[in-house]
Amino acid sequence: MCSKTALLLLLLAGLAPAQKFLRDDPVERDPDDRNIPAPKRYKLSDYYDFIQNSFGSPGDRRPRTAMNVNTLGEVPESTWFSNRHGRRRMPVEELVRGPDQDTGPAEGTLTILGAKNEGITPGFRPVRDSRGGLYAIKFDPPGNLEMATSADVIGSKFFYAIGYNVPEYYVVYIRADHLELAEDAVITDTLGRRRNMDRRDVQQILNKVARTSDGRYRAVASRILPGEDVGPFRYYGTRPDDPNDIFPHEHRRELRGLWVFAAWLNHDDSRAINTIDFLVKENDRQFIRHHLIDFGSILGSGSVSEQKPRAGNEFLWEPSPALVRIATLGLWDRGWILTRYPRYSSIGKIEADRFRPEKWKPEYPNAAFQNCLPEDAYWAAKIVMAFTDEEIRAIVRTGKISDPWAEEYLAGCIIKRRDHIGQHWLTQVNSVDNFQIDGSQLRFEDLAVKHGFREKPAGYTATWYRYDNPADRKVVLGGPEQDARSPLGIPAELRGGPEGAYYSLAIRRRGENRDKIPKAVHLYFRRGSGRLDIVGIEREE
Amino acid sequence: MHRRRIWVSLDGLPLRVRTSFPGFLWIGLLTATAAAQTPPDSRLKQWQSLREKKAEQLAPPVRTGLENFLYNFREQRVLEKFAAGWHHFHAKVGGLRTGSGFALGSEYRRERLVNGLLDIRAGAAVSKRHYEKAEFAIGLPRLANEHVFLEFTATYRNFPQEDYFGLGPRSRRQDRTNFRLEDTTYLGTLGARWWRKRMLAGLRGGIIAANAGPGTDPRFASTEKVFNAANTPALELQPDYYQFGAFTGFDYRDEPGNPRSGGNYVFSWDTYGDRNQSRYSFRRYSAELQQYLPLFNRRRVFAFRAKTSLTDTSPGQSLPFYMQETLGGSEDMRGFREYRFRDKNLMVYNLEYRWEVFSGMDMALFGDAGKVFTRRSDFDLGRLEGCYGVGFRFNQAKAVFLRIDIGRSREGMRYFFKFGHVF
Repeated sequence: MCSKTALLLLLLAGLAPAQKFLRDDPVERDPDDRNIPAPKRYKLSDYYDFIQNSFGSPGDRRPRTAMNVNTLGEVPESTWFSNRHGRRRMPVEELVRGPDQDTGPAEGTLTILGAKNEGITPGFRPVRDSRGGLYAIKFDPPGNLEMATSADVIGSKFFYAIGYNVPEYYVVYIRADHLELAEDAVITDTLGRRRNMDRRDVQQILNKVARTSDGRYRAVASRILPGEDVGPFRYYGTRPDDPNDIFPHEHRRELRGLWVFAAWLNHDDSRAINTIDFLVKENDRQFIRHHLIDFGSILGSGSVSEQKPRAGNEFLWEPSPALVRIATLGLWDRGWILTRYPRYSSIGKIEADRFRPEKWKPEYPNAAFQNCLPEDAYWAAKIVMAFTDEEIRAIVRTGKISDPWAEEYLAGCIIKRRDHIGQHWLTQVNSVDNFQIDGSQLRFEDLAVKHGFREKPAGYTATWYRYDNPADRKVVLGGPEQDARSPLGIPAELRGGPEGAYYSLAIRRRGENRDKIPKAVHLYFRRGSGRLDIVGIEREE
Repeated sequence: MHRRRIWVSLDGLPLRVRTSFPGFLWIGLLTATAAAQTPPDSRLKQWQSLREKKAEQLAPPVRTGLENFLYNFREQRVLEKFAAGWHHFHAKVGGLRTGSGFALGSEYRRERLVNGLLDIRAGAAVSKRHYEKAEFAIGLPRLANEHVFLEFTATYRNFPQEDYFGLGPRSRRQDRTNFRLEDTTYLGTLGARWWRKRMLAGLRGGIIAANAGPGTDPRFASTEKVFNAANTPALELQPDYYQFGAFTGFDYRDEPGNPRSGGNYVFSWDTYGDRNQSRYSFRRYSAELQQYLPLFNRRRVFAFRAKTSLTDTSPGQSLPFYMQETLGGSEDMRGFREYRFRDKNLMVYNLEYRWEVFSGMDMALFGDAGKVFTRRSDFDLGRLEGCYGVGFRFNQAKAVFLRIDIGRSREGMRYFFKFGHVF
């Protein structure tokens, strides 16, 4: 698929105008929900996905700016991503509600229509509640009541608030006698044979899962997504039968930045098999919406057991440390093997003290994560830092973990891991941000300083330019560097300039990187009719 | 097709693409077509233009050859079908004694019959060196909510090239001979598990009919040509036995298939009565202690095993040479050949330092020490044979499925490829 399509895209991209800004920049929404012909369902080989990504390097690995960002460096709204908590603060009740449309399966009997035959967690799929809602039901592993189910729910709330499309997840408690078997319920056995399901099948599944002290089963019910399942998306290339899918996935910022979010929440199972594309119909159009699914293996949960200490620290197959361990007879190893975890069966194994976001690894590499540049990670880190301690605690409470110590420990880990992310990624580029034009002044914040990751600098310097957009050329306006602080006065020429004129501003932190030119943030302004707009932000790395 | 790699620079960025000669034509055509167009002045128009171009050449996703193979391998559930067998028949690969050559067989297996209580299996296997084994087992392993089990097995073995070096710790390597061991065993076991199924106790009883005869390995002399009845009990005439015994154990290993913490302690007592000659009755006491000490999040494990077996014979009784305890081989003394030492009693110690190389493989350094001995007074740490080596263990989540151990002793190097863990 890829060579022809990618070549076409890149050739056409090369024919785009040389000028940095087009008249509709910055684009706020990518209209990738145009009507498309029905695509074919594509099922991924997870063996192949592992082999291809562990032993090869699919996709384009050139270090280049993400292709789907707008000129402000933000991700436009699309079928992949919606700017939520990172763009406008969501109230706590909205964060807690997440993607959920209601309260989950109705009280009473759940009718089993089939048994879950994919994935490693025992469960039923689909089941129908008394209101006719369809859900997939998964359980906790024996010995770890609440662990996988809470991880699923908490994960869905976080990833939704970040901006991804995720299913609705609800914690439910089920009595065995509330599970009714539909007459035409089918189960696919281990050999792939479909047959009618009977009560023994139900009991066999229930025998493998955790029970509460009063004999009930705690489960997570995920609402079946609307639309037609057309298979997972990969972390590289584009889908050849979806004309809306034009940006190679390894160059999508929300997929590159997913590495940072996955690190935050220890989502080491963030592989293609845990994504899904759905063909949805809205109004007269049908298009593909892209989802992340299955968060049972995040935080301290490994779905069917507690998370392995390796998770997040090393790929399943990584030749260098393996060879060194062989050569040194195991006397050498990475620091993660020394990590100590408190014993909380309801949350599994997670910690924050040894967490280094820039070194975090999923189960195996993928092109989008490998392509994540500091600017992508900065974008993601800003969103991570948007979650306050109280908001994090509120989201963790949705996991309904009965042990308050475990719940507080988990929330504390997420808070600390958030801070590690901010500490690292907000300091890799100039973090002057949150620009606002306020009359004749420009306000800004230094996010690293705001969050306490950097000391307040001695000051900032500002250099104003006239900017020739077609020629991509700058001419200094009003002299060389000036001392600057927020709010910064905007030169009169910008406020009174002709419509369509472009200007630029470079802001640097003063007093650091003495032997190098301090990293700058470049802002671009455009005069509109009677107003000045910020149309571009570039950060030097 | 002839393919070449070219460098194309677009938008100031070098791009490495692979194409073929027709590909050059295709690029040229596209370039010419696109150059004739005016670049859009709108980002959305630009994107829309890309989408329209792509819409003209949509194609369904296609799997590569390897991907297709792996997809079908998984989708057709090849491994599951192999494990499940055909109409309850399962292929058996290996499973006979080390040194017997490649073995192949079949087993008929039914589980959870009669309300899920009854299991049956019957199978036979033969190896390249004509080792034969047939077994029938019927069991009720899930009585009393899986706390009680009852099993009956009948086993026939015909092993024509069993090694014999003579009895005692000083047997010589150059005295290697071989003999045929043919036996049939009927054994019933009744046991119970309790306290999270960690405690185990039970009784067993059965009968054994054995014959020993000339070995068929042409490389070595047959046992009766080198040894005689005076130094090799029951060489000429082999008794039949009844057996009765009891066993108990405590197992708190985390994963019995690949333990990283916990322990397993097993004790047993058995009495063997000579049914027809009254010359070879004996009693046997066995103990095996396994302990696993994890370090560093269980990525390092010290595994220790101590095993002993002591045999009592009443005055006037002796122990047939083929019923004597053996030492050597893949399960205990890995620097020695299988069954290198035989005697009434044995003791063996194994220490392994295991470390994880990556998620699918562990390695181990091991040291084995042990001896066989005749008199109880030799039950001490003196005159132990020793060996050491390195092992590679390929594992899944809960079990080692392949083990490669390389052991070295005063008698040289030994290599073992085994399915399953050593302990």
